Amino acid sequence: MNTVDEILDFAIEREQQAADFYSSLADRAQSAWMKEMLLSFSQEEMRHKGKLKSVKLGDRLLKADQHVQDLKVSDYLVDIEPTADISLQDALIVAMKREKAAYRLYSDMARTIDDPELKQMFLGLAQEEAKHKLYFEVQYDDQIMRDN
Amino acid sequence: MSLKDLISPFYVWQRAFEKPYTQKRPIEDRPGAPRYRGFHMNSEDCIGCGTCESICQNRAIDMVPVEGLEQRPGDSGLRPRFDYGRCCWCALCVDICTTRSLHLSNHYAWVTEDPDAFHFTAGTDPMPWNENSLGYRRDDDYHLLVHDRIEMEMLGPDESVRGFDEVMKGYTEEQAVLEADRCVECGICVATCPAHMSVPDYIRSVRKRDYETGLRLLYETNPFSSTCGRICTHRCETVCVMGYQGDPIAIRFLKRAIVDRVPAERYREILGDDVSDNGRTVGVIGAGPGGMSAAYYLRRLGYGVTVYEAQARAGGMLRYGVPSYRLPDDQLDKDIDYIRSLGVEVRFNTLVGRDVTFQSLLDTHDAVFLAVGLNQPSALRINGEEHPRVLSGLKVLDDVANGLDPGIGRKVAVIGGGNVAMDAARVSRRMGAEVTVLYRRRIEDMPADPDEIHESQAEGCTLVAQAIPVEIKPAASEAQVTIVWGEAEMVADDKGGRPRPVLQEDRMHEETYDCVIAAIGQGGQIDFIPSDYREQIEFKWNKFVPGDYQQTGLAKLFVGGDIANSRADAISAIEDGHHAARGIHRFLGGSADA
Amino acid sequence: MFEPTPQVDLSSGKYLKLWQGPQHPGITGNMALELTTMGDEIVDCKTHVGYLHRGFEKLMERRTFIQNFPIVCRIAVPEPTFNEYLYAAVVEELTGIESPERAEWIRTLNLELMRLASYLMWLGGIGAAFGQGTVYQWTVTHRDYILDLFEEMTGARVYHMYIVPGGVRGRLPEGFEERCNDVLNRVEKLLFDVEKVLFNNFVFKKRTKGLGVIAPEMVDQYGITGPNQRAAGFVRDLRRDAPYLVYDQLEFDVITATESDAYARSWVRYQEMHQGIRMLRQCLERTPREGPFQARMPNVLHWEVPAGETYVKAECTRGEYGYYMVTDGSEYVRRVHVRGPSYTHAIALMEKLAVGTNIADTAGLMVSLHTYPPEIER
Repeated sequence: MNTVDEILDFAIEREQQAADFYSSLADRAQSAWMKEMLLSFSQEEMRHKGKLKSVKLGDRLLKADQHVQDLKVSDYLVDIEPTADISLQDALIVAMKREKAAYRLYSDMARTIDDPELKQMFLGLAQEEAKHKLYFEVQYDDQIMRDN
Repeated sequence: MSLKDLISPFYVWQRAFEKPYTQKRPIEDRPGAPRYRGFHMNSEDCIGCGTCESICQNRAIDMVPVEGLEQRPGDSGLRPRFDYGRCCWCALCVDICTTRSLHLSNHYAWVTEDPDAFHFTAGTDPMPWNENSLGYRRDDDYHLLVHDRIEMEMLGPDESVRGFDEVMKGYTEEQAVLEADRCVECGICVATCPAHMSVPDYIRSVRKRDYETGLRLLYETNPFSSTCGRICTHRCETVCVMGYQGDPIAIRFLKRAIVDRVPAERYREILGDDVSDNGRTVGVIGAGPGGMSAAYYLRRLGYGVTVYEAQARAGGMLRYGVPSYRLPDDQLDKDIDYIRSLGVEVRFNTLVGRDVTFQSLLDTHDAVFLAVGLNQPSALRINGEEHPRVLSGLKVLDDVANGLDPGIGRKVAVIGGGNVAMDAARVSRRMGAEVTVLYRRRIEDMPADPDEIHESQAEGCTLVAQAIPVEIKPAASEAQVTIVWGEAEMVADDKGGRPRPVLQEDRMHEETYDCVIAAIGQGGQIDFIPSDYREQIEFKWNKFVPGDYQQTGLAKLFVGGDIANSRADAISAIEDGHHAARGIHRFLGGSADA
Repeated sequence: MFEPTPQVDLSSGKYLKLWQGPQHPGITGNMALELTTMGDEIVDCKTHVGYLHRGFEKLMERRTFIQNFPIVCRIAVPEPTFNEYLYAAVVEELTGIESPERAEWIRTLNLELMRLASYLMWLGGIGAAFGQGTVYQWTVTHRDYILDLFEEMTGARVYHMYIVPGGVRGRLPEGFEERCNDVLNRVEKLLFDVEKVLFNNFVFKKRTKGLGVIAPEMVDQYGITGPNQRAAGFVRDLRRDAPYLVYDQLEFDVITATESDAYARSWVRYQEMHQGIRMLRQCLERTPREGPFQARMPNVLHWEVPAGETYVKAECTRGEYGYYMVTDGSEYVRRVHVRGPSYTHAIALMEKLAVGTNIADTAGLMVSLHTYPPEIER
C-alpha cells in the first residue's frame, strides 16, 4: 500500500468484510431480535464504509488529532466464538473486539511507515476505529451492564 | 377661659422654621421596604405544582401553559398567571410555594398603557420588576407546610439481619393520617407514576380514614397495591414537591396504609368487581405483575383469562426476585389471590415452548398478552467465570424464595449495583455471610433504590464503588474463589449518557471469597416465538418495541413488562398490563373508554 | 332608656330634614346620619349603615382557616391588626395551638403600634372636626411614619397580614428597634405640640366641654367600652382586667376621667397615647431576639379545626373587640361573629347623644365616640 487511495481502498474493503460478517451471522441467527441486532451492526459498518468513500472522494477529511476515550471494556472480556445462537451480550463483545483489532492494525501500520502523508492517513483510520469501538462499548455499558 | 388657653396655640409657630415633612414623590423615588409585598416574581425553580393556585383565596391565580415550556416528569409545564383585578397581595402563594420560586418584588407602582396587562404570568412575562432583588420572601423559620416525614417504625439493622421478617413495620393509623396530611394534593406525582395512579385522591382517603374509597382508587390503576405499597420504585416520591424543602410524602407507604387496613375478604364487596363472561378468552404468558395486572383488568371486562406460568407459584420477579423481608409472601398472595378469585385461571409449571406451544395459544385465544420478564442473568464474560463458586444473583434469590440453601459460604462478594445485587447482598447477610459489594461506578450511580442502598449499608454490607472485576481465579481451596478487580476513574459521556467507568490498570486488587455472586443485569428469552412471527415484531436491542396499547406487529400479540419497557420495574409492568387489557378490549371490538 | 322618637310634624315648617353622609360624616367612614333639625338644633337623629357591607362573616364560612387570615384585616381599615390578632387567637384557642413567646411579644408590639397609629388618625379627626386642620396634617404625617415601620415589619402599610394563627409571619427587621424608637420620640414631641394647640385651645375647649355627655348609668345599658367608658369614670381595661399576650408583663396606667364629655374622651385617648409609647418602649427592649415565632402548624391547605365554639376579646382603641367562632370539625368555619365596639357606639349611642346638640358639632361628636363603620357591617 503505497498511496493514500490504496490505503483507503483497503480500509473500505475491510468495512465491507465486517458488514458481510454481521449479515451472514444474522442469516444464521436463531433469535429474531439477534437477527435484527446483527443487521443493525452490519448497517453500522456500511455507514463506516460510506464515510471512508466520501473521504476518498475528497468530500471530507479524516482527522487524527482528536482524543477518543478508551473505556477498556473489551480488554478483559473473554474471546467469543460467534455461533448461530449468539446472545446480544456476546455479539457486542465480538463487535468491540473486532473494532479494537482494526484500531491496533492501523496504529501498527502508522508506526512502521515513514511517509508523513500515509502515516497521517493510518492514524486517521485508527481514530475512526477507536470511535467505532467506543460506540459498541457504550452500548455494552448501557444494555448489558445496566446494573453494574 | 384662661389667658393661657388663648396664647398656648401660638407656641407651635416655631415649627414653621423646621424641615417640612413633605416627600417629593415622584420626583424623589422612595423604594419599598425590603420586605414590601409588591408584584409577583417567579424563578426558574417553579415546577408548576399549582399549590399557589389552591391557596389563593381570591382565585387570582390560574395555572396556564407557557410557550416553550414542555411538560416533563416533575414539572406540569404550567405556570401561575396572576389576575391583578383579584389579587390582594396577601402573599399566601409565596408562603405556600413548595419550591420557593415565588416571591414578591418591593416594586411600589406600575404604570402601563396596556389595559390587559394586569393579567400576567409571573417569571415568564417581561415585567419591569423581574430583576428586582428585594421584596417579600418567606422567612426561613415560618412554615405553612410540614416538611418532615413521619418516621415509620422499622427493624433495626441488628435485628433485621437475623431473619427474613419484614423490615418496615407499616404506619399506625395516626401516623398514616399525619403523613397523609402533609400532602399538598398538587398531583405532580400522577404524571410521573407509570400507572398514573390517582395519588392525591387516595392520600386524601387515608387522611379521611376512608379506606374503602382508598382501595377503590388504588384498584382503578393497580391490582398490586399491597405489593407496590412495599416495594414500588416510587418515582412519584422522586418528583414529590414536598421534597424540595423537606422530605417527599411517603406515597408508597400510604398506599400500604390503605391495603393493610382492608381485609382480603372484603375486597370483592368493596371493589364490586363484576365478572360476567363475554365469551372470549385471552391467554397471558407469565404470572408476574404485568401478566396478572392484564389478567385482572381483562377479567373485569368479562374475558376468560388463562395465565401460563413456568414456575410453581405466581408473582414472577416479585416472588422469586424480591426477598420476603421486603415483601412478605402473604402480602403478595393477598394481591394475587384476589385476582385469581375473580376466575382467572393460572396454569403453573407450564413453560410456553416446552409444555405448550406459542402457536396453540394463538389458536385457542382471541388475543395473547406476553410479559415474560427478564430472567436470564447477564454473564460477566471475564476469564475464569465458569468457576463453580461464581453464582448468579437471580439464582441465589430464587433458591432462597424456594426455601433452598444457595450455599454461599461465609464471605461473599456481590458484583453489581442494582436491586438484584442489593437483595443478594442483604439475603447473604441474613444467612450470616460477610458481604462486599463491588460496583463499577459511584454509589450515586447505583440503579438500586436508595433505601435499599442505605439499609444494606446499615445491615453491614461493605459497598466498594468504582471497582471493575477483570478476572476470576481458582483459590487455594476449592471451596473458595479469587477475584481480581481494578479501580475505575469516571469519565463524562459527551453524548449525554451516564458517566462511564474506565479501568485503571495500575491499581489492581485481588481478594478471595467463598463465592462471587454476579448481579450485573438480566436479559429476556423469547425463543418460543416461531421465527416467521418474529419477522413481524419490532425489537430494539434486547427488548420488544410495542406499538399503541402494547400491540405488536403480530396483531393478536400484546406485550408488556420488563421485556417491553426500559424502566423494568413492577409498576411499569402493571401499567403495561392494564394498558394492554384496554388495547385487547379495543382490538376485540370493545369500547375505547373501558 | 329608649324613649320613643318625638313625633315631629315636618309640614309645620319648623323642622328640616338633613342628611349628613353617607360620605364620611367626620372622618369615620361611610355611614349616614338622618338629622331632624329645628334651627341648628338637632331634635332627632337616625343612623343608616350598610354602605360598607361586604359580608365578611359569610365570606369566612366559604374559605379555609388560612385563607381567612388575609380577609379579616379589612373589617376595620384603620386598625387591621386587632382583627388579625383576634382571628389568630380564636383559631389558636379552638385548635390548642400556642404561639411562642417571641411571637407574643411581637404581636403586642404590633398591636400597640397600631393603637398609636389609629389614635393619631383619630387625633387628626377630632382636630379637623373642630376646625383644626393643621393638627390633622401633623398627626396623619406621623401616622405615616408608623406605617413606614409597619411596611418594613410586615410588608404592607395598611393591610399588614402579619399576625397569623400560630404566631407571626416574620422576625423583626434588622435595626427596627432604633427606627421605631426614633419614630416614638417624634410622636412624643408631636403630642406635646398637639397638647398646646388643641387641648389648651380655648375654641376646642369651649366646643367640646359638655358635648355629648354619657351618663355613667348609660355605660352598661348601651354596652359602652373603651375610652368612652373610661372617660365616664369606669376603671375598666381588658389589658389589665383580662390580660392577653404579654400585657401582664408590661407597666402601664389605666387612664380615666369623670366628665364623660367629648373633651374628657379626647383627653383620655391623648393620655393613652403616652401610655402606648411607654408600653412600646418596654416591648422594644424586651421582645426576644431569638427563638421560634411560629408554632408547629399542620398542613394549612386542609386544616381541620376541631368542633367547638369560643369567644376571644381584646382591648382595641375603641373598646372591646371580640371574635365569636363556631367550628364543626371541618376545613371551614361554621359561623363567625365579629363584635366591633362601633356597633354600640355609632348607632344607639350616637342617636341618643346627638339630640340637643347643634349641626356644627355632629361631626365632632361622632369623632369623639371614635367609631369605624366597616366593623358595624361585618
